[in-house]
Amino acid sequence: MHISKALITAAGPDQHTLPLQRVVDQRGIERTALQLIIAEVLAAGVEEIGVVIQPGDEAAYRAAAGDDVERLVFLSQPQLRGYGDAVFRGQEFVGGEPFLHLVGDHLYLSRTDRPCAAQLIDVAKQHACAVSAVQATRENMLPFFGAIGGRAVPQQTGLYEVTAVVEKPSPTVAEQRLVIGGQRAGYYLCFFGMHVLTPGAMAALGKVREQSPPDRQVQLSEALADLAVRERYLALEIAGARYDIGMKYGVLTAQLAIALSGADRDQILTELVELLAGVAGAAS
Amino acid sequence: MNPLLATILADDENVRHRSLDSVCRDAALGDLLAQCEELDAFRRTSDNLYHRVRALFFLAAVYRYHIPAKLPPRQQGLIPYDGYNQLLARRFAEAIDSFRAAGRQQPPNDALASALAHAYHALAFQTLADQVRRSVRTVPGNQWMFRLGHPADQALRLRRELVRREPGAPYPVLAEQTAVRMDFSHSAWSDIFFLGMDFPEGARVLNASIDLGVHGRDPQPRPPIETFLRVIDEPVLRLVSVDLQTTSTIRRADEVFDFARDYNGLLKAAVIAAGIVPPGMEGSDHDIHELLSRVVAPGLGLELVSQVNGIPKGSRLAVSTNLLGSLISVCMRATGQVSTLTGALGEADRRIVAARAILGEWLGGSGGGWQDSGGVWPGIKLICGAKAQPGDPEFGVSRGRLLPEHAVLGDGSISAATRQQLQDSLVLVHGGMAQNVGPILEMVTEKYLLRSEREWQARHQAMAVLDDIVAALQQGDIRQVGSATTRNFTGPLQEIIPWATNLYTDTLIDDVRRKFGAQFWGFWMLGGMSGGGMGFVFDPNTRAAGQQWLADQMPAVKRRLQSALPFAMEPVVYDFTINDRGTWAELRAGAAAAMPESYYLLLAPGWLRSETRSLSPQTQAELQRISSAVQDNGAMAARLLERMLPQATADQTRDAQLTALLTKYGFDVEQHEQIQADLRSGRTGLAQNRLSTNATITDVRPDDVVDAREDASRRIAELGAAAIRHGEVAVVSLAAGAGSRWTGGAGTVKSLHPFCRLGGRHRNFLEVHLAKTQRVSQQFEAPVGHVVTTGYMTDEPIRAHLQMHDDYGLAGRVFVSPSRSVGLRMIPMERDLRFAWEEMPQQVLDEQQQKVRASIRAAMIDWAKAAGESANYTDNQPLQCLHPVGHWYEVPNMLRNGVLMKLLQSQPNLKYLMLHNIDTLGADVNPQMLGVSIDRNWTLGFEVIPRRLDDRGGGLARVDGHVRLVEGLALPREEDEFALSYYNSMTTWINLDRWLDCLGLTRNDLGDAAQVDAAVRRMSRRMPTYITLKDVKKRWGHGQEDVYPVAQFEKLWSDMTALAEVDCGFLVVPLRRGQQLKQPDQLDGWLRDGSADYVTELCAWDR
Repeated sequence: MHISKALITAAGPDQHTLPLQRVVDQRGIERTALQLIIAEVLAAGVEEIGVVIQPGDEAAYRAAAGDDVERLVFLSQPQLRGYGDAVFRGQEFVGGEPFLHLVGDHLYLSRTDRPCAAQLIDVAKQHACAVSAVQATRENMLPFFGAIGGRAVPQQTGLYEVTAVVEKPSPTVAEQRLVIGGQRAGYYLCFFGMHVLTPGAMAALGKVREQSPPDRQVQLSEALADLAVRERYLALEIAGARYDIGMKYGVLTAQLAIALSGADRDQILTELVELLAGVAGAAS
Repeated sequence: MNPLLATILADDENVRHRSLDSVCRDAALGDLLAQCEELDAFRRTSDNLYHRVRALFFLAAVYRYHIPAKLPPRQQGLIPYDGYNQLLARRFAEAIDSFRAAGRQQPPNDALASALAHAYHALAFQTLADQVRRSVRTVPGNQWMFRLGHPADQALRLRRELVRREPGAPYPVLAEQTAVRMDFSHSAWSDIFFLGMDFPEGARVLNASIDLGVHGRDPQPRPPIETFLRVIDEPVLRLVSVDLQTTSTIRRADEVFDFARDYNGLLKAAVIAAGIVPPGMEGSDHDIHELLSRVVAPGLGLELVSQVNGIPKGSRLAVSTNLLGSLISVCMRATGQVSTLTGALGEADRRIVAARAILGEWLGGSGGGWQDSGGVWPGIKLICGAKAQPGDPEFGVSRGRLLPEHAVLGDGSISAATRQQLQDSLVLVHGGMAQNVGPILEMVTEKYLLRSEREWQARHQAMAVLDDIVAALQQGDIRQVGSATTRNFTGPLQEIIPWATNLYTDTLIDDVRRKFGAQFWGFWMLGGMSGGGMGFVFDPNTRAAGQQWLADQMPAVKRRLQSALPFAMEPVVYDFTINDRGTWAELRAGAAAAMPESYYLLLAPGWLRSETRSLSPQTQAELQRISSAVQDNGAMAARLLERMLPQATADQTRDAQLTALLTKYGFDVEQHEQIQADLRSGRTGLAQNRLSTNATITDVRPDDVVDAREDASRRIAELGAAAIRHGEVAVVSLAAGAGSRWTGGAGTVKSLHPFCRLGGRHRNFLEVHLAKTQRVSQQFEAPVGHVVTTGYMTDEPIRAHLQMHDDYGLAGRVFVSPSRSVGLRMIPMERDLRFAWEEMPQQVLDEQQQKVRASIRAAMIDWAKAAGESANYTDNQPLQCLHPVGHWYEVPNMLRNGVLMKLLQSQPNLKYLMLHNIDTLGADVNPQMLGVSIDRNWTLGFEVIPRRLDDRGGGLARVDGHVRLVEGLALPREEDEFALSYYNSMTTWINLDRWLDCLGLTRNDLGDAAQVDAAVRRMSRRMPTYITLKDVKKRWGHGQEDVYPVAQFEKLWSDMTALAEVDCGFLVVPLRRGQQLKQPDQLDGWLRDGSADYVTELCAWDR
């Protein structure tokens, strides 16, 4: 399997400005979130990048992309029909090939030398099938993510055959359909915001989109649930962490995580300690 | 091998299913005790749940039935107090160890056997209940709720469709309509969880979802249960039960777990079981808005409303379980836990709703069968127990799963025409009786697990009847259905539980059969016990006539029997249709987003009385809508006005009736006010009932009693026989009390309660006592008079009953002695409630029931304080406000009301009276006992029995050296009772002349009312007055009942033994003669252990 293209979605009504946020990267340089996502893609060896945006956002995105702007192809999502529809907008761009897909409102931090996207692509290439990155997530976070059910692939660490996908499941549904052996009680494998998708996934998405009434949001999870019964579809527990910068204090948390794993670690730690001491002093 | 163990461990089904009786029948006492030792060791080590449970039930039954039957006649023992306390604290395993340790110090005896039987029985049920509870918690989809302990962890979110609204429009209302379920085959109780998990093959039920309407009231049947959920603009949880007229506004998460604080316990259980406030949050100290801000949105709350359309309690149609199911379903739909927001539920969704309903019932401390949420499913379905498979939480623990399988039988299986025929033939009714079926469920469980021969065969017959019913339905033959349901009722169901029927049901069936002959196709028992929800199958051409006849005749039969049987309401006849869509929801938005009218009738008066500015914008908008609605709907305006304006209450009439009754029955105002003042000042009360703590209380010595358990000398027996032959004896049956323990305070006449079939028909207590007198009279060819003492509540019914039955063949020899005194119940003192509930040893209940009880008790203490401690209790039916003043008065009353004089005129040789309690069924005029009393020349000869565990409430003691009977409430220390070997049976042989002498009277003085009154008053003053708490039922609504603790006083006959000048003696009599039948749950053991046969042999029936 050869993966040469990546698709970033950034058209959601509440998320479309998030990639434009500025954070300080691990080297201490101020960059936009979009630049960090592009860097993640490039580090995985993928050089052609499509970005799905709302009409009218292109100028801002061009400005935010920095030096890599020329690598980008901007794709427009004229009607807000949901996340799945946004991915489907990249159909022509990916051209019937497997592709890497990332959401525009997540930042990633690998715990190994291999960046998160690179880990995912390695597995996709090895197994020649669709793979979604997942992370064990406590059940109280279920309202924010899609989650998978499945079984562990024998002799492989952190790799699962996906049998079910449910978008933002209730804990009841999760417990009935998504419990996977080996996970801690109350933890589920939730999407990481990063997938390698096959043409089959794009076809499933097209079908879901076609069958949905125009006023209904098209969800990627529905297509992935369909994909799971049609072709081999894996999930990889990534050795890394994702930070949803769209959540309350999401940017702050992501920034702290990046800074604490980078060059300014000591400075940040010192400032945190001073901050805590100040808060404690004021409280007393 | 030990045959008990071999039965449990056998692979061969014939051995495994053999009955315990067949194994124990011929075993010697020593062998049986040794086998029990081995079995006890086995149950401690076995890791198989059902082996353990079966061993426990075997041990309970062997100690209850088989060992006592093999004990020598003269045996007695003492139950260690520690063990008793462990039983109360539900530490059953420790209690067993204590009783076994005592058994090593004492020869085999009935006292310890009864204690061990009780402890093994309780441990068996606790083991089973724990297993069901574990299974409920481990059902996938339920587990997360037990992990969640903080609002920040709540992962449920309300579906956005319920939060979105157009500006100015109300929030949408999610409305759910749910059917109730009707059981075709009664299931022979096989839907009890334990039984389905023990023998899933035998757990099969055919039930139908039905819509209901009350015949003559509702235009057509409709789903009887409606529930509603919507967002409100206040961050609270508002629960409204329209039918129970109750609103709860919940502001703290923990309040949801306070089930009994108001009538919304079921709604609270639903909110918990649906996971909105999950069970893991019990005890957490959080505001509900912290939770709701996550589930709904900051600043918003939820409202949950239930409405049962006038279907009374006790319908045997599982209304409350289906209401719970409906509430849970609407909550789960709203929070995305099931796949559909509106319309029908899918099979997987119905199963999780049913699992949550089981959880809800457990939380609420109640318990239904696994078929009970059948109304959630559509149409007619076969529900079967399922074997546990690998992967199930039950696998390897029990043979069956907690949840059964449902197979909906569609038109292909049971045609539309057959369904129509069924509707055209069956008349559904509620007979008006409401009974607690809890004891029956325990009896059935025990019998099935013991594989008792007759019951096991009957169970198989019931399974075959189910097949017949299914076949008849598939063939479209409703007449056969009626025949099969009748066969089921008269055959296996009554074989398993004789109390499944009662005189009321039998009378109705006989009357219907007489009236309609071959057009009456059969009787259909709906579940639990009969007398409440029942069905009558008619030829379709006769159905309308049958329905009308039942509507007319049921109230008449009820009126005839209502003093003897506990009725909760007027009988009702239903119209019904089969519901083919199951539970169903719709989302009402925009102008349609309204609650039912009854909701507004309940809440609007409160809103209108409030300042408008204090109402939330949503409520203000609702008031505007009501305002528009009433302009278009005059009837609604009238109903609203009716709610708001003060009504002429029934209270005034009730007060007048009460005053009249008090005057009629000789209410002593002065004494009442003195007792009230004493209560208030603390001079009397529960704590003051007790003897001084300085009193030395010890067991009696052997020579303090005469042991009459074995045949006496011929001389003694002949002494008694001669007295009987000479007409020197009469019987006095004490029947003034309301028998509150028998019907839980329902206010029926216990003596007239047809408690059991004996000699081929239902017999009441009074009839049994008169039949014994008849037998003695015939045997000795001598007249034996029989006095029945009555009270304000029992006098008229007993007189009418005796007249109707011609004194059961004793015409001219039965005398009714009416009461001359009555008390007025009082609101209890908080001090006494706390003493009874906090200082006296209490039976700790099962975990959830204990919580519910604590909640009820807190509410009752609040009620007592709010209603005024020691004030007159008048907020009930007048007869329920009065109380009998204790059986001490009943004997002197015979002097004051002239009955003794009449008796002496009728039986001039009379010298001895045998006085007995109405529930001492084995007491008869026995020449041996009488002979002892004559021989010893006692003034009063009291019969006592060796104490067993159930015999609580005092006993025979030496108090500071004086041998006397002491009431349990007078014992200074609880443990004193456990040192006493004998229990008071209350049967007393009275030497008439010597007793009159104690009063300062002779036979010649009986005509002098003033002298008699003065003598009685003199002695009365010397009798201690006890304050007691009694439960009294208050009925309201559609068959609803509340139980209140009320204070009353009484003087007791046994205190005569404390008077030094009264020469009292004590006879130890056999258990079967002296035991008392106080509670319906003793009936089964009474029938099984030979007591019923013993009593039957003493009787000469009139018919």
